[in-house]
Amino acid sequence: MSEKKNNRLVPIRRAVQGGMLLLLGQWSFYGLFRCPFAVPFVSCQNCPVITCWGRVTSLFWGFWLTLPIIGLLFGRAFCGWGCPGGLISQLSAKIAPFKLVGKTLFHRVAPYGKYLALLTALALWLFLNNPRWAIPIRIGEFINSIRLTFEHAETAWLVRTLTVLSFITAGFLFSNLWCRFACPTGGLLELFKRTALFSFHPTEQCNDCDVCQDACDMGTRPAESNCTNCGDCQSACPRNAIQFGRLKRKQGKNLLD
Amino acid sequence: MLASAIPWNRANAQNFAGQTLQVWSCGGLAEAFMQANQIYEEKTGITISYTGAFAAALGKSLLANGQTEVFAGRVLKLAQKLRSADKMVFFKPLCFTQYVMITPKGNPAGITTIKDLARPGVKVVLAPDASPPGGAAVLKMLEKTGVKEAALANAVVKGSCVQQIMTSIIDGTGDVAVVEKRLTRIPNFKGQTEIIPLPDSQQPPPPLPFTIGVMKDAQDPELARDYVTFILSDQGQACFERQGFIPALSAKGQELVEKLGVKDV
Repeated sequence: MSEKKNNRLVPIRRAVQGGMLLLLGQWSFYGLFRCPFAVPFVSCQNCPVITCWGRVTSLFWGFWLTLPIIGLLFGRAFCGWGCPGGLISQLSAKIAPFKLVGKTLFHRVAPYGKYLALLTALALWLFLNNPRWAIPIRIGEFINSIRLTFEHAETAWLVRTLTVLSFITAGFLFSNLWCRFACPTGGLLELFKRTALFSFHPTEQCNDCDVCQDACDMGTRPAESNCTNCGDCQSACPRNAIQFGRLKRKQGKNLLD
Repeated sequence: MLASAIPWNRANAQNFAGQTLQVWSCGGLAEAFMQANQIYEEKTGITISYTGAFAAALGKSLLANGQTEVFAGRVLKLAQKLRSADKMVFFKPLCFTQYVMITPKGNPAGITTIKDLARPGVKVVLAPDASPPGGAAVLKMLEKTGVKEAALANAVVKGSCVQQIMTSIIDGTGDVAVVEKRLTRIPNFKGQTEIIPLPDSQQPPPPLPFTIGVMKDAQDPELARDYVTFILSDQGQACFERQGFIPALSAKGQELVEKLGVKDV
């Protein structure tokens, strides 16, 4: 039964991701390659880049009002179902030779990189007034605008952008490197996840065989750190011990702790 | 009809239909150029590939290896440099920026003159770290009117972005700011502040002028010239006036052309 459910879930998720790519893809692209601010996506109301979707539509406000609601309902589901960067990471993870699955010190410590990135972003945004580190190309041709942005950016902007690009590119070697260890939005939603109402989680039939962890591109188990509620684990479980729904508080507390 | 507007011949421009022209300009002119480009494209069938960004950055690129066919920049010296470096064929005065005071709707602090920025308790919004037209030029105006120190002491926001000035006034964080009039015409901010004009005597020294010129890299110099002629025609200049600039070919613009010496070398 779970096999049948899973077969339907993957194409549905890809369809949702495709739709979200259409909605958020251009904004994500601008955020990475053309946003002049230290922290992209949070200062759109002040941004002079005319053609960015975050500014010309109500996407900016809509996104930041909707994201906490999604977080409270479904934890990091945005990462698994809606984020264009998450989609790239997931697809690259399919060919990544190193899955980074395990329980070593690295696997315990590295996920905290997300919180470090989140704290850095919050400090830059709230305490340093989100400085502009690049010359905004207000309007321009696709390639030319990127070239000009890189050409006239401050070193800090280049470091920021090249760091993100390096993590995303390294995702072709190491499964979901950006999403698991460095994404500040992922770090933020990970905090919401602790009180999320719905999630994929193991039932009492779970015998901790960790087959689900081996099957997961994020290298985790359902409802644990870095789980994005993608549902890929469900069909991998040999005991049908993974279900979606409300997590019992006691059970959830144990799992999330 | 502007005092010295150049007549533009639509039939002549239609000879270039189907071609593409690359235009770069100072980012502050982007809204005006977008309007003008749309009219030009509709009337001629020519496609304008337009980039608007900080003029100093674009100028630096052009003085190095960057290429465009028409360039409209801020600061007379930049146009002169491009001419001296043999990158630009000619330039003409395009328009002038002008500065105004803005307050939240209803002007709660009762601002009437620039001297009010020095009044105790008035919340002033400044962007000293913004690019020179929004930062240094405004500080120069305050210095010229003898209120710089008091206005800085009254500053509740000292930012690095002129657009942030607008939001700080609109949301009531500040009582008053001095900005380029063009900012009050940007769609996001239009009609959301009170605008108090400043007399000519309080306007800052240059950089007030914008110029437009044909570059050496123009693939079809006649097309580039035609575009410049259109921008300097009544229709083209009206777009710049709508966006808060003084058209170079208006009577006031012509005065400024003479006063500031905005002429090709």
